[in-house]
Amino acid sequence: MGYSFDFQSVSFGPLWEGLIVTLELTVAANLIGVVLGFPLALLIMSRFAPVRLPAMLFVEFFRCTPAIVQIVWFFYCVPMLFNVFLGSMTMGILALGLNLMAFNAEAYRAAIQAVPREQLDAGIALGLNPLQRTLYIVLPTAVRASIPVLLTNGIGIFQQTALVAIVAVQDLMYQAKSLATETYRPIETFTIVALVYFAVSFPVSQVVGFLERRRQLMMS
Amino acid sequence: MALDFSIILRFQEALALGLWTTVKLTLICVVLGCSLGFFIGLARTSRSTLLRAVSSVYVEFFRGTPVLVQLFWIFFCLPLILGVELSNLTSGVIALTLYMGAITSETFRASLKSIGPEQLDACVALGLPRRVQVTNVILPQAVLRAIPTLLSNCVSLFKESALVSAVGMADLMFVGQNISNNTARPIEVLTVVALIYFLIAFPLTRAVTLVERRVLAKLAI
Amino acid sequence: MTMSFSAPLVKIQSLHKSYGPHIQVLKGLDIEMKPGERVVVIGPSGGGKSTLLRVMMGLEKIDSGSISFGGKPYISSESADRKTEIDTEVRRSIGMVFQHYTLFPHLSVIQNLILAPCKVRGESRASATKRAQALLERFGLGAKANAYPAQLSGGQKQRVAIARALMLDPKLMLFDEVTSALDPELVAEVEQVILQLAAQSMPMMIVTHDMWFAKNIASRVIFCAGGVVVEDGPPEQVLGAPKEERTRDFIDRVFHIRH
Repeated sequence: MGYSFDFQSVSFGPLWEGLIVTLELTVAANLIGVVLGFPLALLIMSRFAPVRLPAMLFVEFFRCTPAIVQIVWFFYCVPMLFNVFLGSMTMGILALGLNLMAFNAEAYRAAIQAVPREQLDAGIALGLNPLQRTLYIVLPTAVRASIPVLLTNGIGIFQQTALVAIVAVQDLMYQAKSLATETYRPIETFTIVALVYFAVSFPVSQVVGFLERRRQLMMS
Repeated sequence: MALDFSIILRFQEALALGLWTTVKLTLICVVLGCSLGFFIGLARTSRSTLLRAVSSVYVEFFRGTPVLVQLFWIFFCLPLILGVELSNLTSGVIALTLYMGAITSETFRASLKSIGPEQLDACVALGLPRRVQVTNVILPQAVLRAIPTLLSNCVSLFKESALVSAVGMADLMFVGQNISNNTARPIEVLTVVALIYFLIAFPLTRAVTLVERRVLAKLAI
Repeated sequence: MTMSFSAPLVKIQSLHKSYGPHIQVLKGLDIEMKPGERVVVIGPSGGGKSTLLRVMMGLEKIDSGSISFGGKPYISSESADRKTEIDTEVRRSIGMVFQHYTLFPHLSVIQNLILAPCKVRGESRASATKRAQALLERFGLGAKANAYPAQLSGGQKQRVAIARALMLDPKLMLFDEVTSALDPELVAEVEQVILQLAAQSMPMMIVTHDMWFAKNIASRVIFCAGGVVVEDGPPEQVLGAPKEERTRDFIDRVFHIRH
């Protein structure tokens, strides 16, 4: 093996800037996904086909195509189709946010359907109207039950943000690519970057594991 | 602007070749990745601390980093470390197999864990030797229970395979992007590419539900 | 094996068993069971009844004591390191049926029955299948041979589980609350099968909460509480006119709840 390691030549400035962009993308996409995923879940559970079918199509389309295809499609096609020119950061947030929204809608749907029937019966018996039942019974129970999946999806989108590097958003992955090319130090750069992604993802996945174990304990 | 989807017809063959590369890559990595995942799943439930530690680090690391980073690492760094040139296909297969191995090992681990202790009681009461317990009772149940999640894992792999376009492998996504750039018709081309992915992945996700309802419900596994 | 008629079939000597440092389930059990006896073990939950059967089957480790079968000790923990020694050859002459059926869900009824004979004894598939089919017919399950456990009622599952255990020609059957998980209307069909075995003088040890069944099947009843044998005698005595106060309390309460 003729490769000598040199971690010194990796400059951390650009990587740090990239990480900030990556985190901004993650937080913004999660805001969209967590907030708008819930109403979308209600739409895909609607009894009215004209409401339900388009919503389901939206969700299934995002779940059944590669994220990279969605992102590239977004960057090329949205400006042409709608004649709007948004900043690349905004585009990245929108693409990732809509993707996450679809995945979170599924998580919410599963959690809503797992709300026990008796809870709703109790709500009816107490004279709550459908909106009140949704707000005070379904929402709190379902949100709590879906937290582990929301966190998993959230960390998933953190990893997917790396894809925007392909359409020139200057995130962590983008900075890594340019640094690796400039310094001819791909091993050091990509290893460090992988460790940075890991350092953010791993603690969150441990929290998810803890929440799930606690949930199982409480249910058994 | 006027959309003209007929442009796709001119590139049928190129797209078909790209799709074939995507499908081939996915199938190879499904087979290799599931086999790897099964043994890693066993290793993670093993009594040996060393086996458990090594397999856990592998799984957590591959689940905790973007697949794109893994792919870049294997494309650009592995040849430097090994000192040999790797073909695009080889690198792609290595990267996606390692990814698939990590996610399916979790599937197998969960299915192994879900087999209740009373099944083992029954094995002991029938005097079944350890080998028979594993091959005739535990293994078939673990695999049956894992099937729905494994199918979902396959869909994930199929989608993630589009990332190899970023390192220059001529898969469906790569071909689509090239055509889109050359014809300046991204809407038509990229939409069709997305549709092709959808038309393959969507039925697979439905198959998951079908398997769960039909096969597993019949066996109540 | 030469064995005088009065020699015990099972001999349990000062059996101790605990879960962790604080929970002692069996505190020195001594039981002798003669050939042809049908022993019903009753008692309050947590009194060690099920643990006793699980220990006899070799499913649980013990702290100390020994169990012999047909004069041969096969489970013991006498040495200082408290390791439970189990003679698997002897253990194979004992069959057990559990509360929750424990059929293998991925195998059909007939496959459940022939797995052990084929794999343990090396019996041919054809011969095992023939015996299995005959056994199923006898238990009124002839038509279910190719069904999967999930397609059976609880009573049918339990009858299959009994048939599965019988495929190995056991010399002693252990029944651990085999009707507790069943809907009331399915209990009788399972008890009928066990009575059928009793009529062929199959030795058995039964843990049950069903006092009617206990009265019908037992040749001897043991009342077990707090990890020890409190009373041991013929069913008329233990169930009808118990000598011990604790037994009387228990019997009174059980019948009080029933009626």
